[in-house]
Amino acid sequence: MSAQNAYSSKAAQDERRSFLDPRTKLALTATLALFVLGSLGGERMEPVKTVLSALPFLLLLVEREWKRFFRGCLMLGIGYGLLALMPHLPRALGFFALMCGGILTRFVVTVVMGEYLVASTSVSEFISGMERLRMPAAVTIPMSVMFRLFPTIGAEWKSIRRAMGMRGIAFGGGRAGEMLEYRLVPMMTSSVRIGEELSASALTRGLGGPVKRTNICKIGFRAQDWILLGLCLAVFALWILGLFGLGVSV
Amino acid sequence: MIELKKVSFRYGSDSGSESGSEDGRAQKEASLTDVSLSVRDGEFILLTGPSGCGKTTVLRLINGLIPQFYPGEVTGEIRIDGENTAGRELYDLAPAVGTVFQNPRTQFYNVDTTGELAFGCENRGMPEEEIYSRIDATVSRFRIESLMDRSIFRLSDGEKQKIACASVDVSGPGIILLDEPSANLDHGATLALREMILRWRAEGKTIVAAEHRIAYLWDLIDRAVILRDGRIVKELSGAECDGITEGELTALGLRSRTMEDPADIPLPSFRDGDEPILLRDLRFAYPGTKKAVVGIREMKLAAGEITAVVGQNGAGKTTFLNCLCGLEGRCGGTLEMKGKRYDRRARRKLCFMVMQDTGNQLFTESALDEVLISLPKEEPEPEKRAKELLALLDLGDFAPRHPQSLSGGQKQRLAIACALASGRKILLFDEPTSGLDHGHMKETAALFEKLRNMGTTLLVVTHDSELIRACCTRKTVVSKYEPGAGYPGDGRRGKG
Amino acid sequence: MNQNETKLRGRDLINVGIYAAIYFVILMAVAMLGMIPIFLPLLSVLVPILGGIPFMLFLTKVKKPGMVFIMAMIMGIMMLLTGMGPWPLLTCAVAGALAELCLKSGNYRSAKKSVLAYGLFSLWIFGNYLPLFTDYEGYFAQRESYGQAYIDAVSKLMPLWMAPVLLAACFVCGILGGLLGRALLKKHFEKAGIA
Repeated sequence: MSAQNAYSSKAAQDERRSFLDPRTKLALTATLALFVLGSLGGERMEPVKTVLSALPFLLLLVEREWKRFFRGCLMLGIGYGLLALMPHLPRALGFFALMCGGILTRFVVTVVMGEYLVASTSVSEFISGMERLRMPAAVTIPMSVMFRLFPTIGAEWKSIRRAMGMRGIAFGGGRAGEMLEYRLVPMMTSSVRIGEELSASALTRGLGGPVKRTNICKIGFRAQDWILLGLCLAVFALWILGLFGLGVSV
Repeated sequence: MIELKKVSFRYGSDSGSESGSEDGRAQKEASLTDVSLSVRDGEFILLTGPSGCGKTTVLRLINGLIPQFYPGEVTGEIRIDGENTAGRELYDLAPAVGTVFQNPRTQFYNVDTTGELAFGCENRGMPEEEIYSRIDATVSRFRIESLMDRSIFRLSDGEKQKIACASVDVSGPGIILLDEPSANLDHGATLALREMILRWRAEGKTIVAAEHRIAYLWDLIDRAVILRDGRIVKELSGAECDGITEGELTALGLRSRTMEDPADIPLPSFRDGDEPILLRDLRFAYPGTKKAVVGIREMKLAAGEITAVVGQNGAGKTTFLNCLCGLEGRCGGTLEMKGKRYDRRARRKLCFMVMQDTGNQLFTESALDEVLISLPKEEPEPEKRAKELLALLDLGDFAPRHPQSLSGGQKQRLAIACALASGRKILLFDEPTSGLDHGHMKETAALFEKLRNMGTTLLVVTHDSELIRACCTRKTVVSKYEPGAGYPGDGRRGKG
Repeated sequence: MNQNETKLRGRDLINVGIYAAIYFVILMAVAMLGMIPIFLPLLSVLVPILGGIPFMLFLTKVKKPGMVFIMAMIMGIMMLLTGMGPWPLLTCAVAGALAELCLKSGNYRSAKKSVLAYGLFSLWIFGNYLPLFTDYEGYFAQRESYGQAYIDAVSKLMPLWMAPVLLAACFVCGILGGLLGRALLKKHFEKAGIA
């Protein structure tokens, strides 16, 4: 507890400043989702996709999120492994490997990007970024509540699953509806209760007032943001050129 | 200055449900009738009384959550610093009144501690520079440097409550409301909370606290206001508070005024002649970390006794219970009882845990159904047996009620009925009395005795020394696990 | 609270967030199933039905115009972020507006109108299928990496005439989900005191 130097929140905020601006992260997420997961542009954009896919992994390294990085790499490795293995497998199994591999190689990248977005962005940064995008409070407040609640809903779900295990309630195939009901209802009941307590607390601290909010977090575009935003723009430009048949072969 | 003049209140039909341990149906009971109260600047008032007496309702009237958040019918007049609060928005009141809530897990809007501290000021549009200097001042006054810039998901309940107090402090209101802030705290964290309150008091803040656990602030208060069924029944001046005896407090339905560290209560963990339950190789570490949260090589517990499991917030007591029940997939180990050995899976049929959020372990639409699905399939007369069990736990009249509509204590008893229905021999409880008043705590203690007399073994994780005094017969200490430092039952302390 | 008041307050916005979070979690859980070809058209059945549970609970908190529309737009934004492209934004705006109009005609109180409103709200899900039909060839060209077998399976399941069927399925299942939600509301949530 003995702090030799007095704590300075300003210095700490500077030090903790995220590598990227939240707006850049959002733009990157959307671009990745569109081109890698949604495969916009098809075959022609394949090389671009490879470059894009590497980005979230690099970003995790920058933020020193080793565990997430290795987990992502592992999943991606399994995906490519399956694809490589596919031609050597019997037909039915090959189909399965192809599907799993295809899904993994596209999904993992977007999931890693989503993880990076959530893990590296504080609620304050998120709100601040949304405000600078001129999003109205009517969108910013619900979305910040959403991101705040995701981990809570996950925890409640886990706790209910455990409780069912302990109660020794197992459901056979015929009772899928009941099982869903027994799980969904308590999950929603407790999530709603938590949400209510959360909002009571937030409102007593003045959320939703008519004044313009300030934010102590530091955001703003720096060199790395401009580079990545430029990259996103370039990807879109390539795609649009392609639509008009002016395909620059990449 | 807070003035309530002849205030009555009734919760509206679509108002939010009562939180925490107060009765799920407490909305009616917690309405107020003709409450007049005036708090001078710099005064420290304690609101107390049995569950459902309306103390939380009074706080909600002061901070404006009633009627802005919990709609209903308010009559009478409420003035804060001379101004009538009627029609004032919550964000208008926010700079003047700050509130620390009961549940440390549900009052944070941010996911990082620093952001949480800044939140109130940010909402007011305060310039960043001023927020920084306010945060720094609070951090150094409360000495919470080590809690800064951390994820709130990684804090213990005690640490979270410190952050909640600090975030109220940063926005600097003249009036501070405390809504059972100690309900989930251990002895040490409660003392830390007391320190914070002391500082506020020295700085001349007006403080109104609603609490069942009155011991940690009994000697600090200027006045105690005792409510019952929504009315003020008694006011004690500071001098009267000092002079009151434990017997008089009990007569008023209040808890003890003496603070006691559960660790200091002299109880053995195991006595010669006890039938042993042997735990072996219970080890648990969070994935990706080397440090074990639970690490038991061998531990002896007494079968057929009520053992209190005590230790600091964040020492891994709940995880310990999870491992014991076999709910932690990564934690194997064995349990031996009466010459039989139980591995992880077998323990799930032997032990039953009554969780802190009891609502999460009740699934069906009626109390009766809840017990019915727990009965073994070969039960000849399930309906009859289920009703017997409900009656045994004083829930006979509640058989058709929806489990989620029951009060906290009733939910607990229903969960116990399910455990008995499925024939469990070891019952585990996670903080069964947090937020309970004296009467309910005594009822819980009596129930535990009854279960013990039926031959059940009980393990109770608790910070409540009054409960331990009332019913526990054995005690074991769980401390933060450090390799080499030993663990309860790890040879040193375990074998009594 | 004043019944005639129409301005959205902090509490209303937080409520939108709470229910949007639950709805989205359910949506994502179901969407994972969509990777198996047979389930792809079934999304227009499962999402409206299961989503009806949180949504009907949400509607008990909706007393003012705008909340349902905001909820729809947030779903659109989330779809944009999860790679469904800009189409859902469009369908969300339309479906959200229709649901609002329907609720308004019932003065935000009618139970029947709330079920109908959820049916209309569910139409937004069709936005996720739109790229498949507007650019039938292109859609499959983009999914070559899933393998020819996946493409064959999907294209067999998704001939062009499926478009109106899916749209109708969203609506009909939305109504069913709304009814299911109302049933659970009565069975559980009202008794639990959160509705």
